[in-house]
Amino acid sequence: MRAFTHKERQEVKRRRGIGMICAIASALVVSSAPVWHHAMANEGDSVTVFAAASLTGALTQISALFRQKGMGKVVNSYASSSTLAKQIEKGAPAHVFISADQDWMNYLAERKLVDTTTRFDLVGNRLVLIAPADSPATVRISPGFELARLLGDSRLATGDPDHVPAGKYAKAALEKLGVWSQVAGRLARASDVRGALALVERGEAPLGIVYGTDAAAAKKVKIVAEFPSDTYPRVVYPAALVSGRESATARGFVEFLKGPEARDIFLSLGFSVE
Amino acid sequence: MMEFLSLTALEREAIGLSLWISGWALVGSLPLGILAAWVLARRNFVGKTLLDGSVHLPLVLPPVVTGYMLLLLFGRKGILGQPLYAWFGINFSFNWKGAALASAVVAFPLLVRAVRLSIEGVDQGLEAAARTLGAGPVRVFFTVTLPLAVPGVLTGMILSFARSLSEFGATITFVSNIPGETRTLPLALYTLTQVADGETGALRICLISVFLAIVAIAGSEVLGRRMASRVRG
Repeated sequence: MRAFTHKERQEVKRRRGIGMICAIASALVVSSAPVWHHAMANEGDSVTVFAAASLTGALTQISALFRQKGMGKVVNSYASSSTLAKQIEKGAPAHVFISADQDWMNYLAERKLVDTTTRFDLVGNRLVLIAPADSPATVRISPGFELARLLGDSRLATGDPDHVPAGKYAKAALEKLGVWSQVAGRLARASDVRGALALVERGEAPLGIVYGTDAAAAKKVKIVAEFPSDTYPRVVYPAALVSGRESATARGFVEFLKGPEARDIFLSLGFSVE
Repeated sequence: MMEFLSLTALEREAIGLSLWISGWALVGSLPLGILAAWVLARRNFVGKTLLDGSVHLPLVLPPVVTGYMLLLLFGRKGILGQPLYAWFGINFSFNWKGAALASAVVAFPLLVRAVRLSIEGVDQGLEAAARTLGAGPVRVFFTVTLPLAVPGVLTGMILSFARSLSEFGATITFVSNIPGETRTLPLALYTLTQVADGETGALRICLISVFLAIVAIAGSEVLGRRMASRVRG
């Protein structure tokens, strides 16, 4: 008898819990509606930029400046160039695409999804080997260097070489140096270059391959060696307007990217500018 | 047609890894899950709500949060990960054991919920009767409570196994996406949606996942019905 009433009490409690969850959920939906509406209404004077993850710091600064000058609002979406190109292919509402390699820009160009007349190379970067700041590792990158031994029983963090540009450059460099076969099975594949950076920052991976600018942006990692520039394809960031999404603000932002203020920001963060 | 039906090396690897990881996640979490379910169903103590809440946490948290918390706890430099590695050589980072841990944690609430409901349904009069006949609490549990709760245990096992098979967020956050080590079906699908010309491969993995899910659900139905009739006598 007592067990029965206890059960009943529990049932009441459970029902009350479900009611509470429903109430919270509906409150959340109702309260977020104005925000959503607001975002839609402002489409006109804002520009959505899909940019390679390694541009995170630079574009955030440039966008803030752009807005400060009253030229328009910028919404940045950072991810691996592969992820972004795929999203644009599926109709994501981007105005500008900035890739970390030519391949993914070509991928969209072949499908007529970017306006190739607006395409230009924005900045350049370099490829480096990084370690946690307290790491004792010393490395000299040369053909056949002992990368696997340096890793011990752990892994080398970089972008997934199947699609992430940083990983593709890393693979090209390691192949050229003849050490790819040593470490191909020893990668910690991140879904973008900043993911690889974070793995080294947290000490999960003792070594990683990222761009020079990523290493400079993170206090908890250090550059242990730089890859010779002849071991990998030149790292260039092509930018273009997305087809059918041209607006005055989008064009304005692209022009702003080419201007002296943006250039100073890129240079200060370690990107190379032609 | 035959070519479409035969699995590629990548698919075989992902399927095998998914089953292996989910299997270990289940084996590892089952005893703890039954214990937690029994405690929640039969015991009253200070902090019960807290235990109940923390058991259910992975059900409501975004899996990425769970994965990140696992990384902070069990990563190579994690609060528990560091001593575990230093003292016992146990290492969860970037390997299938880490993936199994992530799956087990995320699927744990489903296991506990099902088992708990089942234990709550066991007539306490029967347990009391066993006690009056001289059985200790452990013996009562293994000879009366658990056998009667078997349908729920089975449901919980299948639910949590299925949840493990579909685990993505916590896994990719905690142990990355490593072929042959942590790249299970959902992660392989994710990779294929990222590469150029991966559409066909992605679609195939979708179909494989649907197929596995249907087999799991059908299997649980059949087993559940058989068990229920056996318990009823």
